[in-house]
Amino acid sequence: MNEKNETRMIVIAPSSEITPDQVVRFLHSLGKNIAIKETCYGAMIEGKKEDVQLAVREVRKLDPNRIYSKLRGFPVGDQRRCRALHGSRPGFTQLEKEWEMLSLIEKGLRAAEKNERIAEKKKKGKLSMDDFKRIVKEVIG
Amino acid sequence: MPPNSLILFDLVERFGHEPLSAMKAIAERVTDLEIDSPPINVTSEDVKKGLKYAGIEVPSGIRGRLALWGPLIDEAEAAIIMEDAPYYFGCVGCHRTNEMVKYLLRKKGIPILEIPYPTNEEEAKFMVTKIKEFLEGLK
Repeated sequence: MNEKNETRMIVIAPSSEITPDQVVRFLHSLGKNIAIKETCYGAMIEGKKEDVQLAVREVRKLDPNRIYSKLRGFPVGDQRRCRALHGSRPGFTQLEKEWEMLSLIEKGLRAAEKNERIAEKKKKGKLSMDDFKRIVKEVIG
Repeated sequence: MPPNSLILFDLVERFGHEPLSAMKAIAERVTDLEIDSPPINVTSEDVKKGLKYAGIEVPSGIRGRLALWGPLIDEAEAAIIMEDAPYYFGCVGCHRTNEMVKYLLRKKGIPILEIPYPTNEEEAKFMVTKIKEFLEGLK
């Protein structure tokens, strides 16, 4: 891949009703000169940077807050990363974990659209010695 | 951070900025025809680059990762760090490298947003709204 080309992963959130098949059909209908591969999480596309970025922008319109995208280092169908050819998929565990999170991120995006102000919840810290002494006094007397 | 996160990459792009990711650095190395035998493609140039960011006594795994991520840090104009992400394994699996990257980012003095990794709806809302606010403030 050179600087003019790009490979992208298009990931559909689990809460979306869009299927990878619909995404792939839509991408084909754009008529761009890009390689498209349907996957379990959505699709992978590869081609000229401007074509790929246009395709990403367009496909997002199908379900804006539930379709996500990121770059991919390896080209589509690269043998070093293809399971069918015993390639390793070291990034898949992370992708799977983040895919599970996308339904929550979608809610976050909706909140951001409405300009909601969300206060940070304080993390549970360690109990201070004074509090500990107070609790002991209250319980034991 | 993590530099290969789908969520961060997407949000940064969505809110109008260019994300600098590990995938971009990896793509250059695994597809460049000038590199002899990808994916076993650490060149002597990479070793030198790694040394710019970490001393010789630092384990080679950290230096190797920094050879990829160091130039991204140099290029960065702002950073978002997601703390306690559960996927500190795989190709971002080196916690020491992550610590080193955080140190280099802080040393650079660019605007940094540090947010906890969300585990529920409220935290996710907080994270996304905070990232939006941070990125819009950079424009």
